[in-house]
Amino acid sequence: MRHTDVAVIGAGVLGCFAARALSALNLHITVLEQREDVCTGVTRANTGIIYSGYDNHPGSLKARLCARANASFDRLCEELDIRFSRCGSLMVAFGPHAEAVLEQKLENGLASGVAGLRIVEGDELFALEPNLSHAATRGLFAPGTGVVNPWELGIAAYENAAANGVEFRFCERLLRMERSEGGFLLETEQEVYRAKIVINCAGLSADAVREMLCLPTVRIFPTGADYLVLDDTVQGFFQHVIFHEPEEKGKGLTLVPTVDGNLLVGPTERGRDLAPDGATAASGLRWLTELCAKVAPSLPLSEQIRSFSALRPNPRTVREEGGVWVPEDRSINDFTLYQDNGLISLLGIKTPGLTCAAELGRLCAEFTAETLGFPGNNPRFHPNRRGVRRLHGMDEAQRAALVREDPNYGDILCVCRDVSRGEILEAIRRGAVTLDGVKRRTGAGMGRCQGARCLSDVLELLARAQRIPPEAVTLDGEGSPVLGAKYGTC
Amino acid sequence: MEHVDFLVIGGGAAGLSAALGAAEAGRSVLLCERGTLLGGILNQCLHEGFGRALFGEDLTGPEFAARLIPALQNSSAQVLTQTSVLSLSPDQTALLSGRAGLRRIRFDRCILAAGCREKTFASLGIAGTRPAGIFTAGTAQKLVNLGGHSVGDRILILGSGDIGQIMARHFVESGRAVVALLEQADHVGGMARNRRECLEAYRIPVLLRTTVDEILGTGRIRGVTARNLDTGRRWEISCDTLVTALGLLPDQTLCRSLLVKGQLPSWLRLSGNCESVHDIVDSVVREAYALGAASW
Repeated sequence: MRHTDVAVIGAGVLGCFAARALSALNLHITVLEQREDVCTGVTRANTGIIYSGYDNHPGSLKARLCARANASFDRLCEELDIRFSRCGSLMVAFGPHAEAVLEQKLENGLASGVAGLRIVEGDELFALEPNLSHAATRGLFAPGTGVVNPWELGIAAYENAAANGVEFRFCERLLRMERSEGGFLLETEQEVYRAKIVINCAGLSADAVREMLCLPTVRIFPTGADYLVLDDTVQGFFQHVIFHEPEEKGKGLTLVPTVDGNLLVGPTERGRDLAPDGATAASGLRWLTELCAKVAPSLPLSEQIRSFSALRPNPRTVREEGGVWVPEDRSINDFTLYQDNGLISLLGIKTPGLTCAAELGRLCAEFTAETLGFPGNNPRFHPNRRGVRRLHGMDEAQRAALVREDPNYGDILCVCRDVSRGEILEAIRRGAVTLDGVKRRTGAGMGRCQGARCLSDVLELLARAQRIPPEAVTLDGEGSPVLGAKYGTC
Repeated sequence: MEHVDFLVIGGGAAGLSAALGAAEAGRSVLLCERGTLLGGILNQCLHEGFGRALFGEDLTGPEFAARLIPALQNSSAQVLTQTSVLSLSPDQTALLSGRAGLRRIRFDRCILAAGCREKTFASLGIAGTRPAGIFTAGTAQKLVNLGGHSVGDRILILGSGDIGQIMARHFVESGRAVVALLEQADHVGGMARNRRECLEAYRIPVLLRTTVDEILGTGRIRGVTARNLDTGRRWEISCDTLVTALGLLPDQTLCRSLLVKGQLPSWLRLSGNCESVHDIVDSVVREAYALGAASW
């Protein structure tokens, strides 16, 4: 049996930031993650938008956390050494209904203290975004909106927490949890843990984890969402995040100029009745293409390099009906945090969950300190972490210096993304164990050839570093071997 | 700053030949190849059929490359492997990255012979999951022929590009099953020789007017939903690997920033498959050599 003060369930962006915030305290912290790496669940598919906070009802937890998180995001990204583009956003209307929504959002934002918000129209609107359809009538400009790479953010929090002494344990799926002697007993496939506090950041399974101890109140009904990625050849087509507010009921299009220079198009909003199996829906991709033609008619969709889908943890209140728990009709708009005698559950954290991850982590740490009594500060704690050095975007002198230090940085393996052998080796040293793990840390395989040219090199490096045969290397964890069985064995 | 008359980018058939042409015309030449080996894609083409036009022989890719490489090595041309050209500038300089460091080269003329990349399945926007086991034909060829790996046991091929057909033959010869080859057109693409020697000779089931509507399987691919484009009929095909042969796209990324009104600067030429996709390598060699030797 292993003893720990705090057990965090799940190493997505929420679990990693909870761990990072907790690591400032003088406590033993263990993160239990069922997968082989961090950020493989809900975090894996996210727009990366850092919201300014005008979407949320003033006074709501979301509004409070979002405004605070956005204001301190530059500092957070400096501490964690990650890329952050505070590019601003434009919410655009094409008619009177949407214009009214913009006014409402402006009011919301002003009430929540969102800085710099204003309505733009006419020449000013098209000066901000010349490629926007000229049928657009008005825009809500939010200079504070930003964009990060969501993986980079989550991985940075993980690395910082680990450096501060947090113990991350991978491939540890939680099977059972019970209360015992004023604390908790947690049984995973590998081990039994005793913890005083449990922080439940289990994403899509957070309801199931909570229900190991409590009766259901809120359950997660995942909904699927589809995205398209356009090549970095369209870099500069849009300068701001574009939120299209439709005239009709339903969701509009979102266009995100990513920190990697791509344009991310999406997400769609699928009906609750569509089975969310993690698959991309043809109808969703069609819908995105149709809306692009309306919002940005000159957008070269031929530059599409990938499409993918996300699962969003949609929380809904449930009630018991004849022994089964069924959802109420209304979904929940605010973040739902539950405190059940030492168990804190982050249940159904949707947009702006990524923006608020650090703030939610701070709440978890505050709650822990209140419950246990202030345990003192962790003498090892340091908020700063050094990022993976990326050649792309470095000037010639920096790049040359790096190659002098390590010749592997001179050897470019991912041609599309300008990623060197040195960067890939560093990603593996830092914990990448799959092709996707390398991709999330370095961008290798994210370009227009989608790994066609670097796959065999990355595969060999992963196999050699882990001393496993190439056949054991996976795309994205157990059950996803990249190769077939070796010749001669079938 | 070091200066050369000709900078040649890419050490495949086109680059090797262009560099040789320029060197034999008395010019100082630097050739940069990003991989460890000269010969480019020829190295992974272990099938025969190269050199009929040029040498009157039936050679494998590596054998064909071996006819080109010594001539270049014996010439005055300077060759750098594991060296990428990061950028070309309008002032006729190039930034090179290799294990030895970064260096900037000044040149009079540049021949871009970066070859092709393959159109990917990911760019098609097909519905379904995103599992392991989906490869372009060229990547599968590299894994199998250079890495000595297997890509899978029950292979479905989408598209009828030449490399896909050649890989279909290879899969059958190595004891794998090719479930089918799907082609959305009403005829099979590629060269007649490959259709005869790779598809017909091995009785590969070819389904025309058929495409993939959806990818199935989490973790590893377990099949696809196919659709007939005329009848609309949809059905499931089970496989553990999808290999795509959707066509080649000349890789002109390096010169994109140099285009002025769609025109390349006068000091830059494209050669080989980087200029346009060629059916046979023999003609690439002839054209590239002539381009290297010519005055322009």
